Amino acid sequence: MSDATLTLTPPQSVITPRVEIDGVYGHDPRMLISMRNIWKTYQMGTESVHALHGVSFDIPRGEYIAIIGPSGSGKSTLMNLIGCLDTPTQGEYWLNGKNVSEMDDDELARIRNQEVGFVFQTFNLLARATALHNVELPLIYGGIGAAQRHEMAKKALSSVDLTERMTHKPNELSGGQRQRVAIARALVNHPSILLADEPTGALDSHTSMEIMDLFERLHSEGNTIIVVTHEHDIAARAHRVVSIRDGLIEKDERIK
Amino acid sequence: MLLRGLQLAAIWEAFRVATASLRANKLRTALTLMGIIVGVTAVIAVVTIIKGLDQTVAQTFSSQGSTVFTVSKNPQIIKSREEFIRSNRRKDVLHEDAEAIQRTCTACWRVGIAANAIETVKYNDQKAENVRIRGVDPLSMFDIDGVSINVGRIWTESEGASGREICVIGPDMLKNLFNDAPADRAVGQEIRIDGRPYLVLGVLEPLGSIFGFSRDNVVYIPYSTYQKTYGSRRSLVVFIQVHSTDQLETAEDQVRTVMRNRRGHLNGDTDDEGFALETQDVFLNLYGSATSNIYIVTIGVAAISLVVGGIVVMNIMLVSVTERTKEIGIRKAIGARRKDILTQFLIEAVTVTALGGAIGVGTGFGLAYIISALIGFPLLVSVASAVLGVGVSSVVGIVSGLWPAWRAAKLDPIEALRAE
Repeated sequence: MSDATLTLTPPQSVITPRVEIDGVYGHDPRMLISMRNIWKTYQMGTESVHALHGVSFDIPRGEYIAIIGPSGSGKSTLMNLIGCLDTPTQGEYWLNGKNVSEMDDDELARIRNQEVGFVFQTFNLLARATALHNVELPLIYGGIGAAQRHEMAKKALSSVDLTERMTHKPNELSGGQRQRVAIARALVNHPSILLADEPTGALDSHTSMEIMDLFERLHSEGNTIIVVTHEHDIAARAHRVVSIRDGLIEKDERIK
Repeated sequence: MLLRGLQLAAIWEAFRVATASLRANKLRTALTLMGIIVGVTAVIAVVTIIKGLDQTVAQTFSSQGSTVFTVSKNPQIIKSREEFIRSNRRKDVLHEDAEAIQRTCTACWRVGIAANAIETVKYNDQKAENVRIRGVDPLSMFDIDGVSINVGRIWTESEGASGREICVIGPDMLKNLFNDAPADRAVGQEIRIDGRPYLVLGVLEPLGSIFGFSRDNVVYIPYSTYQKTYGSRRSLVVFIQVHSTDQLETAEDQVRTVMRNRRGHLNGDTDDEGFALETQDVFLNLYGSATSNIYIVTIGVAAISLVVGGIVVMNIMLVSVTERTKEIGIRKAIGARRKDILTQFLIEAVTVTALGGAIGVGTGFGLAYIISALIGFPLLVSVASAVLGVGVSSVVGIVSGLWPAWRAAKLDPIEALRAE
């Protein structure tokens, strides 16, 4: 497997320059996200299935990027790796100056808490908790004191225009409102990246547009946003689109 | 060790989640609690009751004092049929035996004799049944018995020897014969014991009751009078008191020697001394062995119900983990570490069992209160047993919650998020 590192395919990204160290393409320390030769292999019985084989790309701070691909392309695997829910079988992943590819479970939990804000297709809010408490949850695990926590959570909710709905539970909110609670939860810790997985998949087209407008606004405020989707019109709202097919980057283009 | 590095906020969050989930599944929570409640209730009730009895017993026997022992024909506690038959073959213990002991035993302080009969006592049309008629001699028997006069007087030595129908009554007689009249009203009155008239000289101080039996339902009469009425050939009990407990052994040895000389070995039965010499240890030992058996049984019952309760808790926690796989996934995705999840479920398990323990402590004390009120002994609420009850059930919670919590903690976040 170490051969693969040496016989690295040339970088596909045309947007950011590669950093080459000792003849091997290493990570670029200037980038927020820097992935090099990422492999993810699953053991299916006796067979090895490569979900990703040798993906390398960089994402600078403040970018709005869409990762697009059909189901089974490896885009979910890539998203799990970017979100630090999983580690690559091989390769290097640097997030905000930290090599997360070799971290253990608890270190990854720490990184997810501090660096990643997740937005899921099905919102994934705690049903029994109020909007405010849902937003506070990452701060609880981050060890933030109660008073400061309330303050931060309220601010995050007001930034998605949900000040009025703070004490409501998810089942008392509309789909769009739930997703905005989820976005507030993702943003409350001021993470390095906002990672959205099919964020409009469970919403009607009107609400979808509202959520995408919100993403645009958050991007203009300086957030780094990564949207994983299979819908082209959602991807088209991003400034850069990375297409995944068969575990490889097929296309990486700046569209805005 | 586990809690180190955990923020207080995370622990509070875990507790909040635990109580919310317990509230959300009330019936399930109630069923889960049952085993723990039964176990803790049993322990608390029994410990409290026995502590109350202990105090009663200690007070009762200290009023007579551990400086007293008795010589009698039949032992006061007969442990077997053989013992009963054997003791019935013995010669009666008589006044002469008491006199011999008095003469010979240098370590003895007070020697007295007493014999009991159960009679119906009447005053005018009032009647008291099952009254203990206690014939005693000499006057120091009142001191040996630990009773003292409240109103009126005890008979004099010469009155005691005269065989006259005079008596000193226990306070229950006031209640049963004199309609709760003041004690001085009874003094000078004439009561009838088995049809014979007796003059009331005095009323005793109340002693209270033990195990529901009143110790004040008694009439003291001089032994000479008792003998006249019930015959002289009835076995009596010799009471011997020493100055202090360290003389008890010497006195017992001396008394034993006197009695052996007077009895010899009966009917070739070399195992039998022909008399029973007993200290209050006999009662205390019997009481001690009875209560220790009760303790053992209770601990057994409690252990079984706590183990069963623990298994139920473990089962419910496993269900809870399965049901909340998605929630665990969400929490992990936003930064919960293994120990955060582990703590959350452990706290949930401990919350259930500690709650069960607390309820058990409450019902245990309640049960003890009812029983103590019925039987009549003091209720001693021990903080230590309450703490122990809740503590032990919390430990049950930790033990039975550990495995489910560990399963939750090591769930893969991606898999968990996929769950419905």
